[in-house]
This record gives sequence, C-alpha cells and structure tokens, in this order.
Amino acid sequence: MVNQVGLTLSMFAMCLGLFVLVWILFVLFKNGIQSLDWAMFTHSTPAPGSEGGGLANAIVGSLMMVLVTTVIGTPIGILAGVYLAEYGDESYTAELTRFVTDIMLSAPSIVLGLFVYAILVAQVKHFSGWAGSLALGLIAIPVIVRTTENMLRLVPGSLREAAFALGAPRWKVATMVTLRAAKSGVITGLLLALARISGETAPLLFTALNNQFFSWNMNAPMANLPVVIFQFAMSPYDNWIRLAWGGALLITLTVLILNIMARVFFREKVQG
Amino acid sequence: MDKHISTQFDSELTSVSSRVLQMGGMVEVQIRHAMLSLSQFNVDEADHVIAEEKNINSLEVEIDKDLSTIIARRQPTARDLRLLMAISKITTNLERAGDEAEKIARMVKHIVSNGTYRNLPASELRIASDLASGLLRKALDAFARLDVKSAVTILKEDDLIDTEFDGFVRKLITYMMEDPRTIGQGLDLLFVAKAIERIGDHSKNIAEFIIYVVNGNDVRHTPIADIESSLNS
Amino acid sequence: MPNTTLIPPKYAIEIRNLNFFYGTFKGLKNIDLNIAEHQVTAFIGPSGCGKSTLLRTLNRMYSLYPGQRAEGEISFYGKNILDADQDLNLLRARVGMVFQKPTPFPMSIYGNIAFGIRLYENLSRSDMDDRVEWALSKAAIWNEVKDKLGQSGLSLSGGQQQRLCIARTVAVKPSVILLDEPTSALDPISTAKVEELINELKSEYTVAIVTHNMQQAARVSDYTAYMYLGEMVEFGQTEQIFMKPARQETEDYITGRFG
Repeated sequence: MVNQVGLTLSMFAMCLGLFVLVWILFVLFKNGIQSLDWAMFTHSTPAPGSEGGGLANAIVGSLMMVLVTTVIGTPIGILAGVYLAEYGDESYTAELTRFVTDIMLSAPSIVLGLFVYAILVAQVKHFSGWAGSLALGLIAIPVIVRTTENMLRLVPGSLREAAFALGAPRWKVATMVTLRAAKSGVITGLLLALARISGETAPLLFTALNNQFFSWNMNAPMANLPVVIFQFAMSPYDNWIRLAWGGALLITLTVLILNIMARVFFREKVQG
Repeated sequence: MDKHISTQFDSELTSVSSRVLQMGGMVEVQIRHAMLSLSQFNVDEADHVIAEEKNINSLEVEIDKDLSTIIARRQPTARDLRLLMAISKITTNLERAGDEAEKIARMVKHIVSNGTYRNLPASELRIASDLASGLLRKALDAFARLDVKSAVTILKEDDLIDTEFDGFVRKLITYMMEDPRTIGQGLDLLFVAKAIERIGDHSKNIAEFIIYVVNGNDVRHTPIADIESSLNS
Repeated sequence: MPNTTLIPPKYAIEIRNLNFFYGTFKGLKNIDLNIAEHQVTAFIGPSGCGKSTLLRTLNRMYSLYPGQRAEGEISFYGKNILDADQDLNLLRARVGMVFQKPTPFPMSIYGNIAFGIRLYENLSRSDMDDRVEWALSKAAIWNEVKDKLGQSGLSLSGGQQQRLCIARTVAVKPSVILLDEPTSALDPISTAKVEELINELKSEYTVAIVTHNMQQAARVSDYTAYMYLGEMVEFGQTEQIFMKPARQETEDYITGRFG
C-alpha cells in the first residue's frame, strides 16, 4: 500500500517536471523559431529602431569567450582534479582545495562577475572579452575539478595497484591509466561545465558587457548572447524582442545538445 | 585417453601406469623362472627367484607411495580415480602373484632336498603353468590398452586353469594312492599346483579391475554370464 | 616423479623476523621463511590469516597506503627491501604481481603489454612487437589474440583478461612473480589453464601464490606455508604438508576439521 502511494507520488512528480520542461521548450520554440534563419547568423545586432538584423556578433563573441575559457580552464581543472584524487587525499592542501572549490561552486555567479570587475576591469578601465572569459573560468573550473576528482575516484583501486605493480611512478599511473579509465566521465564533466557557462549572464554584465558591432577583439567589450537577450527582451522594439527569443532558443538548444551528448557519450563508453 | 589440461597430471598417471607394467613384467619373469626350476628341478634357478622377490616388494611400496602422492595432490575424480584405485589393487595382486612364484621356488628346493622327485608327474603341471603365465601377460596387455573385451576373455580363461588344477589333483591322488611313499612329495607338488592356480586367480582379478576402470562397474564376485550381458546391453 | 631437487635450493627471497602493522593492529607476527628460486611457494590459511598481507610486503605494495608498515628483514637476492633507500618502482619492476580481479588497462591489448615494458626499456618497434608476442605466448593467449592486438583489453573474457594480466607481468621479465588468488574469479577451465601456466612459468621465474583453495596449492606448488592469525604455523614441501603434516593445526585445516 505504502509502495503504491510512493510510486504514484514519484510518477506524479516526474510528470510534473516533464510537463514543465515541455512547456518551456514549446514556448521557446513558438516564439523563437521564426528568428532562426540565415539572417540571424550573418547580420550583427541591429541599432535601436532599425529593422532586421541578426545575432552574428553575439554568437561569435560567446563562442570566442567560451573557447578561451575552455582552452585555459580545462587543463587547470583536470590537473587539479588529478591532484586531489591521486596525490592529495588526506593532506591539508587537498582539503583546503576541496573546500575552496566547493565554495566557488555555490558562489552566485554575479558575485564572481563583480570580483573580476574589481580586479581587472576597474584596473584597466575598460570591459573586455578576456575579463568575460576569466569570469566564466571562475565558474567552469570548480565544476571541472569536482567532476574530474569524482570520476577518478570511481576508478577501482585495483587498476591503480596493477599499474604500480609494474613499477610505474605515480604520475604515470595517474595520467596514463587512471585518467584514461575515467576519460568518458571527465569529458562528460567538461561538457556539463560548458553547458553551464554557455548561458551565464550576470558575470558577463560586469566583464564583457556587450558590443553592438561585430568584433574579433577580445580586449574590448564583447558581444555575447546572454547579455543581448537581457537587453533585447525588455525593449520596446519588435525585432529586438524577436531576436531575443531567437537567442534564447539558440542557447537552450545548445545546452540541450551538450547535455544529450554528455549522456550518450558516457553511456557508450561505459558499455564499451 | 584424452589429455588433461595439466600436463604434469598426465605425466604422473603415465609414469605410475608404466611402473605397474614394469612390476608386471618382473612378476612374469619370476613365474617363468620358477616354472623352469620346477621342470628341471634346478635349485640355482629357484634361489634366483627367491632373491628377486624383494625387488618386487619394494616396487609395490614405491608405487603405493606414488599413488598416495597423486591422490593428495590432484584430487582425481571419475575415471582417473577408478584408475588409481584399480592400480592399487592390481599391484597387490601382482605382489601376491610374485609371492606364489617364490613359493613355487621354495617348494622346488624342498622337493629336491628330499630326493626321489623324478617319479612325480611334475611335467603334468606344464599346461597349467603355461596357461597361468600366459594369462598374466594377457592381463598386463589388457591393462596397458584398457581393453574390456580382452579382460572378459581372461575371466573365462581362468576357468580353464581351475579345470586343469582339478584334473591334476585327481591324478595326484591316484598317484599317491598307488604308492603311499610318494605322499610327502605329492603334497609338495600339490602346493605348487595350488600356487599356479592362484596366479591365474590374480590375473583374473586384474581383468576385473580393468572392467571397473573402463565401465565403472565393480564386477568382483559377479558371474561371467551377468558381466557379459551387462556389457552388451 | 615429484619436483624435489636433491641440491639445496637457492633462495630468491629470505624473510627474517617480519612483523607487519595496520596502524596498531599486528597483521604479521615474526615471520621466518625462505622462498626458493624457480619453485612455486603457496600460502594457505583461513581468511584473515595474513597470507595476502605477507605477499604484499614482498613488492612493498603496502607502501602506497599510509598507516601500514613493516618491520624486519626481507632479503631479495641479498638486499633488504624494507630499507628506506629502496627504490620502490624498481623493486616492483623486478617483483611482479597478478591480482585476484583481472585488471586490463583501458588500452589496446598491445598497449597493455607495452605499458610496462616502456617504463624501463627503450625498445624499437620490431623489438617491442617481438616482446609482446613472446609475453602473450608465455601466457598461453597469443593464438587467441594475435589477430586483434589493437582491440581493447576489456573486450576479452574473464579468463583471457587474467591471462593478459599475467602476460603483462611476465613481459617486463621480473625475477619473482606474486599471484594473489589469481583464479578466484575464474571458471574451472580457465583456472586449470592458469594452473598449467604456473607450472610452465616456474622454469624461468620464482612464483609465490596465495590461494584460499588448498587443493590448488596441492596441485600447483612445490612448497606450502600454512598461516593462521598472522603467524606461520608450518612450512615445508607440499607433498609432506599434504600427506604427513608435522603440526596438528595444519592437519586439522587440510582435512577440513578446522573450526
């Protein structure tokens, strides 16, 4: 009897969640699909009042910042994760690192954005794509560190011992055996970190700000999708609102695809 | 027989089987020499047989030790276990057959030391003794090949030896009745005949164990007719 | 017929007065033992008797875990491996270990074997190929994998994986091979194949094996040590231990009158 009640309640909760998700996607699609055309990818954001336009600069800007974050953040995050799982264990340094990582994981992203504003943007007196990448990095790296460490911990100790038993030094065991064994889990962590930073708005407000025009220059304010959406969604211009929905749909689809990729990749590797 | 995954187990089984055949060969030789000493009333031959006896005994001890080791180390089952059980009993039978040969030799010496042996029908025993040593050879061959058909034939041929023995006993009794002075030597000869008959029995036992190894049936104390019908079914 | 050499054996490892501690708990008490070269020495005893602990001192595997320490002397061809200046990685390249659970690395079969070799040797491609083939042949698995060396080690069956692990250990040409319950996770036929393998390995390597299956010890070893509660109860030639043990405790364990 209790079993039935429990089952019913969980089924209900699941349906509720599924319903909400579908509703969100439906609304996004309904409003955004009309913007999803070639123009969106080729034209830059339109000036207030002007017609048409696209999101090209914002897309490029977001991509560049995310790329920089990934390129710099991935090695740092993975190496830190390797250290925590394979070397640190009980040491004071390791415990401290974990503590700091946990705090940063739960820190509000706006706080991190303000922090970068204070130490970088205010110092050089201009917004930049680099600052944006830094802020995104402060969000992404703790995620990567945590998932890397957790995935490495899942690797059975017997595999490590087998490598040690051949006379391998610890760093080789950690990188060539353990990390390799946890490869799919670590990559999943990366994809999830990527998905997370794709949609972060607050930190970019204080660091990259936005740029109306198309630009490859990371040293200046950089256009990016989240801030553009923020700006356009509450504006009075129809084409801006339309573009905002388009941008929102684009981000949502990206995040959705990244999550699905992460799942599929992980399952494939686990079974193989 | 198929090979075990453990080559060492195979070699241990082969080794102990070879030792059994070696022991059997030695016993065969003993029987032949004993019968030779009887037919010629040759004391030197008899002494030779008596001296060799201890080699057969020590071989029995060694084979038993090897068997225990194999059983302790290999935990044999099914056919392997039956083979080892059979080998244990076969060596006992061989050792006893060797004892019988030694008894014959001792009897020969006893007869010779008493003199007047030339009148006894010792040559009558020739048929039985040839049958007996031939039967042992057959049994050892059948063991080497684990040949059940051959084993059944051996069971039947032992009956022939028994018949010969009965015939000889009757003849001996007639002899002794005709001339009571020959009773002493006659009895000696009777013991010899009995020893030959027992050698035949030991060969029969060996054949029974061959059937046990191959079929798993313990056919001791089973009439031949029943054995044959169960093998044909 | 059995493997008793008349010449007194040379010892690969001599253990003197070995005591082992898990924190404050004493796992091994005053172990004195010699492991003969090119022979198989088995360790048997009930769970918790210390046999795995003893095996893991022989390649200092316990040093990976703080809180575990050994005192005493373990002499590996004359050098005490418990000394502080002992190079652990080098030791483990000379004293190999195969574990209970088969643990192929997440690499190709070729890569699995090459990993250990590359740690200490710089072989040309063709030399490496030869060595990989040699190791896989020694482990009696070459014919089964020669056409799929590029496939992942994880694609093999349990028994094959374990033989792969044995090949991996043999490939670096250690002097001693330690086997920690190597067939516990395998089916009877794979077990028999591994046992046959151990018999062949002994001509070139010294083998020490821990097994909870005492019949396996009887089949496979030349010397057997019976351990109980961290102590060495009896050590001798396998035949003698299984036919006429000197200690009553040994006989009780072997005949199943234990407990």
